[in-house]
Amino acid sequence: MNNDSNEKKSAEEVKAEAKPKVDPKKLDLGALDLSVEKVEERISPSETNVFDK
Amino acid sequence: MSDFPITLLFPPQAHFTQPYMGLACLKAWLQAQGFSDVQQVDASVLSYDHFLSPDYLRWAVRRSEARNGLEQFEDRDELSFSNMDAYRSAAEVAVSGDVLADRVDGAKAVIRGDGFFDPSRYIPASRTLFHSLRVVSAAWAPTKLTPHNFTMAYSIDRSEDVLAATLDEDQNPYISFYRECILPDLIKRKPRVLGISVIYGSQLIPALTLGRLVKEALPDCHITAGGGFLAYIGAKLLAAPAISACLDSIVFHEGEKPLEELCCALRDGGDLSKIHSLGYYANGDDGVVRGIKNPGGHPIALNDAPMPDFDGTPFEKYFSPEVVLAYDVNRGCYYGECSFCTLPTVIGPGYRTRNAETIAAHVKTMREKYGFSNFNFITDCLPPGMIRELPEQLIEQKSDILWWCDARVEPRAYTKEGAERLYESGCRKLLFGFETAVPRLLKLMKKGQTPKRTLEVATNCNNAGISVTFYAMVGFPSETVEEARQTLALLRANAAGTRGPDGRMGPVREVSLQTFHVDEVAEVFRDPTTYGVELLPDANADLQLYHDFHANDGMSQLEAAEMFDEIMAGLRESLPLFHEDTFFYFTQKSHYFLHLASGLSPDQFIEHCRAAGIARQAELKEANRAEFLLALQVLPDCSTREIPFSYTEVARRLAHPLARAARPDFLTGTFLPDLEIEAAKVLGSLCQTKEKKRVLAYSPGSTEFVELSIDGEAVLDALADAGSYGNLIETLDNPSGPERERLDTFVHELHKLGLLFSPSSALPSSARHANLTETK
Repeated sequence: MNNDSNEKKSAEEVKAEAKPKVDPKKLDLGALDLSVEKVEERISPSETNVFDK
Repeated sequence: MSDFPITLLFPPQAHFTQPYMGLACLKAWLQAQGFSDVQQVDASVLSYDHFLSPDYLRWAVRRSEARNGLEQFEDRDELSFSNMDAYRSAAEVAVSGDVLADRVDGAKAVIRGDGFFDPSRYIPASRTLFHSLRVVSAAWAPTKLTPHNFTMAYSIDRSEDVLAATLDEDQNPYISFYRECILPDLIKRKPRVLGISVIYGSQLIPALTLGRLVKEALPDCHITAGGGFLAYIGAKLLAAPAISACLDSIVFHEGEKPLEELCCALRDGGDLSKIHSLGYYANGDDGVVRGIKNPGGHPIALNDAPMPDFDGTPFEKYFSPEVVLAYDVNRGCYYGECSFCTLPTVIGPGYRTRNAETIAAHVKTMREKYGFSNFNFITDCLPPGMIRELPEQLIEQKSDILWWCDARVEPRAYTKEGAERLYESGCRKLLFGFETAVPRLLKLMKKGQTPKRTLEVATNCNNAGISVTFYAMVGFPSETVEEARQTLALLRANAAGTRGPDGRMGPVREVSLQTFHVDEVAEVFRDPTTYGVELLPDANADLQLYHDFHANDGMSQLEAAEMFDEIMAGLRESLPLFHEDTFFYFTQKSHYFLHLASGLSPDQFIEHCRAAGIARQAELKEANRAEFLLALQVLPDCSTREIPFSYTEVARRLAHPLARAARPDFLTGTFLPDLEIEAAKVLGSLCQTKEKKRVLAYSPGSTEFVELSIDGEAVLDALADAGSYGNLIETLDNPSGPERERLDTFVHELHKLGLLFSPSSALPSSARHANLTETK
């Protein structure tokens, strides 16, 4: 493993650089797709066997 | 340094919350026999500590991007099933990798410090560690490392696969780990014997990987391996071709005596063929190396064995604020009848115990020596006499410890008075083999107990303040769907902390649910006809321990796997410890117990979690108030990333029973390429919907991965820029009607999923960021 972590920008820095600001006035509120999806994480048997491993 | 340095090593992968006991027992024994220089190394916890570090995670992000970056999926019109797992990893790394690297040290500091006891800090820290391991896995894909498992695309039941895995620099993360973190010290130390303890199947490839590297670096070092898993497959491993490239010998069953004799023979030039319970490799007259297995010997008299010696254990590396020490009160099982259980045949052989006076004296000495007062007694079960005698001795000798262990249902011992005495002696948690609510199956399992008696015992313990866990099983041969549901219904009706259908609360706090497997020493394997199963042997699996089977009656293996999900879903509704994020306490060994040891009763612990908002029902109700909703803000380190295919749809397909069956099972480690092909046929591929762009959102520690539309991302960004939802609404000139309702619903949903927090709330979201950025 090469240790060059100091060269890496923090996540916030990267995000701040990459994203243009959103002008809320330009949002077409009536037409927005505001769907939200989340994964229901499945619990595997390995996570219920924690007393052995 | 002595003339005969010995190193005992516990290889990855095993639980990371507390030290493993076997090395400490072997070290103590060897020292008592005159070997003064015995080192113990827990390479498993050292590897977790190494992987879960900012530098390693940043490196893992870059490696993952180089091997399997998200951009390589962006130009594809279609995502085939065989690429879905890689796509999911790439998407997760892209949105979470860097922020996890920024926060992983803070998460470790919480888990190892006082923050552990604050659920609003513990849960995000745990989630950060779990997600960080996904980044580590992505770097070595398709290898997967979790807190509870390690699998590669190689089957552990084929020696050819296992040996190939030990050489795979691209997918085996332990080769570089050993080179960087373990080998330099070993080369400096030059041990004459390296003893590797292999308890779980997940340790087999890492153990042999290390053996190979040490044999190359230190040709004079004798490398032996033993431990529970090799008690099952050691003979096959010894017979498999080319394993001698990784090991010189294998110790069968308990290691004390054969390891002592092996060390004596190597030191004094003795004959390995005279050592009982040892297998070793030797050159035949024809020049071919062959494994030779000596006859088995008698195990030690346990009561004469010294106290485990944990000197040199890196206690500060474990992922717990206080170490729970393991201690072997007995070995083997005094009952030894259960038809599904094979432990009595691989421990010992034979049941042996230390006497209660010895146990109490040892744990008192260990508490004084190491400064830890919490113990996990390693035992299959305590016999009735010990259930009575041990508390008396612990109290009389003022051992002053708190402890938990496995137990067998013994109604005459776990009476109301017996349970109260156990609590007084420091017992805070007991785990009973409940298995099933169905008398027919209990009889077939030869459990020698009834659900009624089991519940009586559990109630006595619960009333005394001892937290009760049940082991339960799904998929025992001939079990029907209806019978499995009967078990679920009984468990739900007897859940502690929530009222069952009859309005009362029961004694059950946790359930460790397992699917049934046939292993080669099980009675079901020896007598499949009685159990109505037809075994499906695999001729190419020369290290096979677990066998697929066809059940003549009842559920198939696949149906049992589906029933596992159904039962878990039911238990998560009924058991407060399984609600929402409190499940993290269950999944990390001894973490719930440490709260009990800190003075909370089981009920107080649940209240503690509720008060901290971990089971966030109260906060979610609060979010229905308009002023609460308007105050919501975006978590400071929330990140988003546009993705070419639906993440949730990919995850849904990967969770399909067929897809899951193709992945290595945690017990068998078997990778089934045939099922992968079938899953690909059934589950098909995904098309990119360029006109409906999707975004993956993530806030480390606060949430699982959330998928939004590109519009949703725009609103999230606008909300972040505005500072709060209220400010955003003002900027939008206070929209009303359906438009406002849709926005409210969206914001409400994001809050529920953990991307937004309320600064006025005492609940965890506001604390998450600040607390987690703390470093050691």
